[in-house]
Amino acid sequence: MKFQRRTLLKGFLGGALVTVGLPPLELFMNTHGTAYAEGAGGFPQRFGLFFWGNGMNPDRWVPQGEGADWSLSEQLAPLAGVKDMVTVVSGMRVLVPNIEPHHATACGILTGRPLVMKDGEHTFPGPTIDQTIASAIGDETLYRSLEFGAEAGAGMSFNGPYSQNLPEQSPIALFERLFGPAFQAPGEEGVVDPSLGVKRSVLDAILGDLGRVKASVGAADKARLEQHMEGIRGLEKRLAKLQGNPPDLAACAYPPTPAAAYPDMEGRPQVREKNRAMCDIVALALACDQTRVFSNVLTRPLNNILFEGATAGHHNLTHDEPEPQPEVHAITLQCIEELAYQLESLRSVQEGDGNLLEHSLVFATSDVSNGKLHSSDEFPIILAGSAGGKIKTGHHVRTVANDNASKVLFSIAKAFGMNLGEFGEAEGRVTESLTAIEV
Amino acid sequence: MTSRISSIGLGITVALLLFTGCQAEGTKVPDTLDVGPPPQVEAPAPVLLRLTQQQYTHCVADLFGPSVVVPSGLEPDSQNDGLVALGSSYSSVSPLGAERYADAAFSIAKQAVEQAGIGPDCSLETEGCLREFAQSMGGRVWRRPLVAEELDVLVSLGQQAQSALVDSKSSLETVLATLLQSPYFLYRVEVGGGAEGASHLTDFELASRLSFFLWNTMPDDELLAAAIGGQLAGPDELAAQVDRMLSDPRARQGVRNFFAEWLDLYRLDELTKDPNVFKHFAPELGSMAREETLLVAEDLVFEKNADMREFLTTRTTFASRRLAAIYNAPSSVLEGFGPIEFPLDSSRRGFLGHVSFLALNAHAVSSSPTLRGLFVRERLLCHTIPAPPANVNTAIPAVSTTAKSLKERLQVHMEDPSCSPCHLAMDPIGFGLENFDGVGRFRLLDNGVPIDASGNIDGEPFANAAELAEDIAEHPDYARCLVRKLYTYASGRHLGDGEGAMVDWLVASFEAKGRRFLGLMRDMALSKQFRSRGEVAP
Repeated sequence: MKFQRRTLLKGFLGGALVTVGLPPLELFMNTHGTAYAEGAGGFPQRFGLFFWGNGMNPDRWVPQGEGADWSLSEQLAPLAGVKDMVTVVSGMRVLVPNIEPHHATACGILTGRPLVMKDGEHTFPGPTIDQTIASAIGDETLYRSLEFGAEAGAGMSFNGPYSQNLPEQSPIALFERLFGPAFQAPGEEGVVDPSLGVKRSVLDAILGDLGRVKASVGAADKARLEQHMEGIRGLEKRLAKLQGNPPDLAACAYPPTPAAAYPDMEGRPQVREKNRAMCDIVALALACDQTRVFSNVLTRPLNNILFEGATAGHHNLTHDEPEPQPEVHAITLQCIEELAYQLESLRSVQEGDGNLLEHSLVFATSDVSNGKLHSSDEFPIILAGSAGGKIKTGHHVRTVANDNASKVLFSIAKAFGMNLGEFGEAEGRVTESLTAIEV
Repeated sequence: MTSRISSIGLGITVALLLFTGCQAEGTKVPDTLDVGPPPQVEAPAPVLLRLTQQQYTHCVADLFGPSVVVPSGLEPDSQNDGLVALGSSYSSVSPLGAERYADAAFSIAKQAVEQAGIGPDCSLETEGCLREFAQSMGGRVWRRPLVAEELDVLVSLGQQAQSALVDSKSSLETVLATLLQSPYFLYRVEVGGGAEGASHLTDFELASRLSFFLWNTMPDDELLAAAIGGQLAGPDELAAQVDRMLSDPRARQGVRNFFAEWLDLYRLDELTKDPNVFKHFAPELGSMAREETLLVAEDLVFEKNADMREFLTTRTTFASRRLAAIYNAPSSVLEGFGPIEFPLDSSRRGFLGHVSFLALNAHAVSSSPTLRGLFVRERLLCHTIPAPPANVNTAIPAVSTTAKSLKERLQVHMEDPSCSPCHLAMDPIGFGLENFDGVGRFRLLDNGVPIDASGNIDGEPFANAAELAEDIAEHPDYARCLVRKLYTYASGRHLGDGEGAMVDWLVASFEAKGRRFLGLMRDMALSKQFRSRGEVAP
C-alpha cells in the first residue's frame, strides 16, 4: 500500500500549520510494537543533528526570560511554531583550544574533544555525537545512521580521525537510496531480488581482500581499512535485512518524489528547497525505521554560499559586512527557518498517541557563535523533542557563564541510555551532565 | 633582482618574538652547479594511497573505453598540504562511500559488458573460459597478475551469478564488479618484494607508481608487459620507459593535474563574485580561468620545454573571448582559447596575472591583498602562515574619509601587533597586485585612490606587479617549493626524515639543467628513492 504524504507535509511555514490526519489507526497498526525497547509508548528513540555553518549573533540570539517562562529572540523567531517542543541552552562555551577558527569549535561542540592538528591539516579525534549515539541505537536498522544536507560538503559526521561519513546532498539520490526499488512499504507484495545473494557473496570476497591488504600495512592504514570494512559489513547487513521481511509500521509510507535536480539559480544554491525535500524524506525513513540517527548539515563551516537576497557569500559577509550586518542576520534567519521545517516535518508524523518529534531528540548547533569573531562563548545550542520523555522541552536554560558545553553532549548520551561516567577530553572533558535540561 | 634573498623572517624579527607562529623555514641554496650523484636516503614508512576520483575515472576509461560512464558521487577526495595526492593517503572510505563504490562497480561492469562489448575471446560454455576472462581482466584492473586463489574466488562468484540469475552475461558482470570494488583496484597496494626484497617495490608496483605520477592513471599494456618481462629493473630500460611515457599524450593529463592541485585550481569550480560589482563575472568564468592556466603550463612544459621561472614571467597566455575581455585585449579566436600577448608596458605577467589566481584569491566584492599574499607564501614559496587567532575581529575596517582604498583600510594589519607579524608577510605581496581587481581587471585607481603597487618581498624591492613576478620567480624558495610539491605529489606522502637531502639534490639538478619541468619529473621517476620502500610502521 502506498500513500503520498506530499499533501500532508507541504506548507508548514507558509501560513497555518497543517494538522496531519492519518488514516484510521487499525489499518496501520504496528504488529511489532513489542520489538521496541526504549522510548515512550513503545516507539524507538531517534537522534538527529541539525548543523548550519558560520554561527549566529549572540546579541540577537539569547532569549528573554528563563525556565518555562521565556520568549524567543530575534534570531530564534522562526521556531515560534514549535517553541513548546524546543529547549534553548545559553551561556555555554566550547572550552577546547580554539586553534583553528571554525574547525576547532565545531570539533569541540560535536565531540567534546580538541581538534587534532597533524602535518598542517586537521581532523576530529573521535566520533561526533551522532555516531556516539549510533553506537548505542544504530544496530537494529537498515542504516546505522543517515547523513545528508543541502550544502553539506564533506559533512560533519566523524567516526574517528580522517574517517567521515559522507552525506547525501541530492534529494533524488537520497530518495532512491531510501525508497528506491529495494524498499518495500508495509503491506506491499515483496519479491526478493535474486541478485541480493550474489551481491552478498561479492561483499564477502571484498572483505577477504581488505583483510589481506590490512595485514600488510601500518597502523594508520589498518585503521583506514577497518573503516572501509565497517562500511562493507553495513552493506552486507542491509542486504541480509532486505532478503527478510520489511518492518510493519503504522506511520511508514512513501515520501513525495523530489525533483530530479535542484540547479543553482544564478549562482545561488537552492538551500531551502533541497533541505525541505530531504527533511520530508528523512521523516518517513525514520517512520519506516530505516534508521534512528541522522545528521543534517544544512551548510558547512566556512561555507561561502550566495544565499537568497545576499550580495556576497556567507563567510565573506560575516567578516566583511559592516555592523549591524543585516545580510548575515538574514542568512541566520534562513538557517533557523530550515531547522523549524525539519522539526515540523518530524512532528507531522504521528506515532501512537504522540509524534515522531516527541520520540526524537534533535540537537541543533553551528561551528562558532559569533562568526565574525570566531568566538566560542555563548555557543548556539538548541534541543528539540524529548527523546521519548528524557529531555525537557519548552525551556530556556541559562547556565553559569562559560559553562562547559560538553555537558550537553553528556546529557544527550544519557538520554539514550548510555552510561558513560564522563564525556569529552582535555579542556572539553566533563564529569557531570547538564541536569537542568534532563527530565 | 638576482641577488640572494634571505628568508622571510627579515624585518619582522621583533614581531616574531610575539608571534613565533609566523616563522618561515630556512632557505637552502646549492653552492655549486655540480650536483653529483643523488644522496642515499632512507625511505619513509609506506602509505596506502586510495585512487582519487580522477584516477578512478581515468582507469575506467582506460579499461573499458570512453563510452562507459562513471556514476557521480564517489567518495570525495581530501586535500593534505593543499594536495589531493597527499590527502588520498589519509582519508578512509565512509559507509556511503563503500556503498557508492559497490553501486559504481556494478554499473560500470554492466555498461562494459552490455555496451562496450567487454567479454572473453572464448565461449563461456567452454571449460576454463570464465577463468581466462578473470585472469586477463584481473591483470589489468588490479595492475598485476592474479594468483590462483584469487582466480578461484572470482570464478566461483561468476558461477554463482550465472546459476542465480540464469544469464551468462551476469557471470562476466559479477567478475568485473568484484574486481572493481576490491581494494586491489581502489587502493595502490604496495607490499614490496621483487628482486631486492621488501625494501623495493615489485616491478608491477613500480609500473603503477610511474603511471599514476606521470599520467595520473593506470599503466598501459606496454608498461605492464615491461613489468612482466622484468624490463623495469635495468636503468636503461627504465629510462626508455620513462621517456616513452613523458612523450605520450597522457603525460599532459598528468602534468595538468599536478598544476591544478598545486595551484588550487579545482577550487575555481566554486568561484562566485557579486555580479553587481564585477560585470565580467559569469558562472563559467572559473573553469575557463583554470583552462587558461593549464594551457600556459602545458605550453611551457611540452611545447617550449621552458625554464619554469617563465611560468611567472611569460607575457604569453591563452584566453577565451571572455577572458580576453577581462584582459582588455582583442581575442584571437571566436571559440575556445587563443594565444594573446600581454603588452611590454603592461605589469601583467605570467600566472600571477591570470584571472585564475587573481579571482580565486579575492573576495566576492573586492580584491584581497591578504589572500593573494597568503597564496604566494603557501603555494609558491612553501612558507607556513598560521590561521588567524580566535576572537580577533577579522572584518576589514569600513571605508572612511582617511581610509578609502583597500590598502589604506588594511593599514591596521600593518600596525596592530596582534596582526602585523603574519600580515607583514602576506599583505605587501598583495599590495603589489592591487592593480588587478577581484576578477583580475587592470585598474589604476581603487575607490578613487591611485594605486601604488611598489613594495618589497623578503628584502627584494619591486615597483609593480611585473617586477614582483620576477622577484618571486628568482626567489630560491620558489624552485625549492615547486620541487617539494612535485616530490610529495609523486610519493603521496610527506617528506620523511632525511628526504630533505633528496629534495636538495633534485633542486640542484633542476637548477643546473635550466629548470625544465619534464627533466625534473624524469629525475624523480628514475631515482632509486622512487622505487624504494621503507619499513611498515607498527
